[in-house]
Amino acid sequence: MNDPYSVLGVSPSASDEEVKKAYRELARKYHPDNYHDNPLADLASEKMKEINEAYDTITKSREQGGGASSYSYGGGSAYQSQSRYTGANVQYAQIRQLINANNLAQAEAMLGRIPTHDAEWNYLMGSVCWRKGWMDEAGRYFRTAATMDPGNVEYRNAVQYMNQGGQAYRPAGAGMGNMMSSDAACNLCSNLICADCCCEMMGGDLIPCC
Amino acid sequence: MYGYVRPVKGELKVSEYEQFQAAYCGLCHELGRRYGLACRFLVNFDFTFLAMLLADGPSVPTCRKRCIAHPIRRRTCACGGGSLETAADQTVILAYWKLRDGIRDGGFFPSLACRAACLAIGRAYKKASARRPAFAKAVREDLEELDRLEAEKCPSVDAAADRFAAILRAVSEDIEDVGRARAVGELCYHLGRIVYILDAADDLAEDAAADRYNPLRYRFETADGKLKPEDEKTLRTSLQHSHNAICAAYALLGENPYGGVLSNTIYMGLPSVAQAVFAGTWRAGNRLQRERSGI
Repeated sequence: MNDPYSVLGVSPSASDEEVKKAYRELARKYHPDNYHDNPLADLASEKMKEINEAYDTITKSREQGGGASSYSYGGGSAYQSQSRYTGANVQYAQIRQLINANNLAQAEAMLGRIPTHDAEWNYLMGSVCWRKGWMDEAGRYFRTAATMDPGNVEYRNAVQYMNQGGQAYRPAGAGMGNMMSSDAACNLCSNLICADCCCEMMGGDLIPCC
Repeated sequence: MYGYVRPVKGELKVSEYEQFQAAYCGLCHELGRRYGLACRFLVNFDFTFLAMLLADGPSVPTCRKRCIAHPIRRRTCACGGGSLETAADQTVILAYWKLRDGIRDGGFFPSLACRAACLAIGRAYKKASARRPAFAKAVREDLEELDRLEAEKCPSVDAAADRFAAILRAVSEDIEDVGRARAVGELCYHLGRIVYILDAADDLAEDAAADRYNPLRYRFETADGKLKPEDEKTLRTSLQHSHNAICAAYALLGENPYGGVLSNTIYMGLPSVAQAVFAGTWRAGNRLQRERSGI
């Protein structure tokens, strides 16, 4: 195994607090939420395992019976295969397995052979597109699926995730720039500042530093 | 290529700016050394980014050199290192096929200009494609497929962008470490997707006026070469997902001697370029920026 300190990128003389900080930053970086249905999710969870082990090794070796809090983020897979298929729909279960295994060409070929394009078909087609990096098509299929079966939570979540723009790790201080129109995030800040000004006029304070 | 992949200069540290300039000059010199003077004009920001991305090791050796653009004072250039050589080869290959495209698509004079340029780099292309046969083949096939999609007026932005993105993904195929190759490939794929779509958005008004193919014209309903606000939002959200994919892949790459410049380009450069393209200020701003920057 690699040296646990070099895995966390700290020197062996670092304080407990520094080790914890480094660990937290890396855990934030490789958090499964940043690899939602991402074809590289397996690489990220390997990294996560590595830093969890390194942190555990360090805390254990430093622990002298004290209750240093050893916690670790789980690396659960974001994409669960569902087992609610019966009868004619076993094909869909197979397709889901193929998607999970990142075997997209075969999943797409199987979907292509299914004549009826119901909600589930659209959802799975969206999933294939998503993993291929065809984000626009993915959104269209997800929206179609959700329109055809408005009660389905899975489809609705996919549409919501699609519309809200997802998330990814950015180091602190890297700026809040994104590819979407700048309104959502900026409005929040400017609204807060406005609210702060109003509060200050009334004698209160919402943001203490300004 | 297009110059969409660039750092935000004001946010670079001085040392990072020097590194970036050294990489740019290094790529230019490498093009000259390997392929002759004419090919030095092919140097661009996008492939400088790729050369930096593919760089390995804790630091990059530099040397000081003069050139036509900077005849008096020597400039610091990155020198040696396989990633510059790779990027130089790939620059020549991609430029050649883009010019071949230009010969067919352009009007009389533009296509004449492309023909002349093609002749000028023809020998360089032969050399480069002998060095990177797999990349040359991938570029040729993907651009042919892209032409076919454009000819049949493909209404899927993703399908059209996919072929261009696949070319950039091919950049990663010489990497030995499987995990690293996958991460670089994914990063480059989405970089290619963003570049293609930004270019389409940038050209939309012009293409609409000239009634040329542009995937956005067939994917969305456009009026006067403009996207409707809700369509622009859909498109930009899909770019945001690609940007997330780039960030996610980038986080998995190990240390890089150009880390600061790369982070700046990814986290700040791409969003600000997208912002400028959609605000319609990219074309005007681009020229100004280049004049001011002095590189």
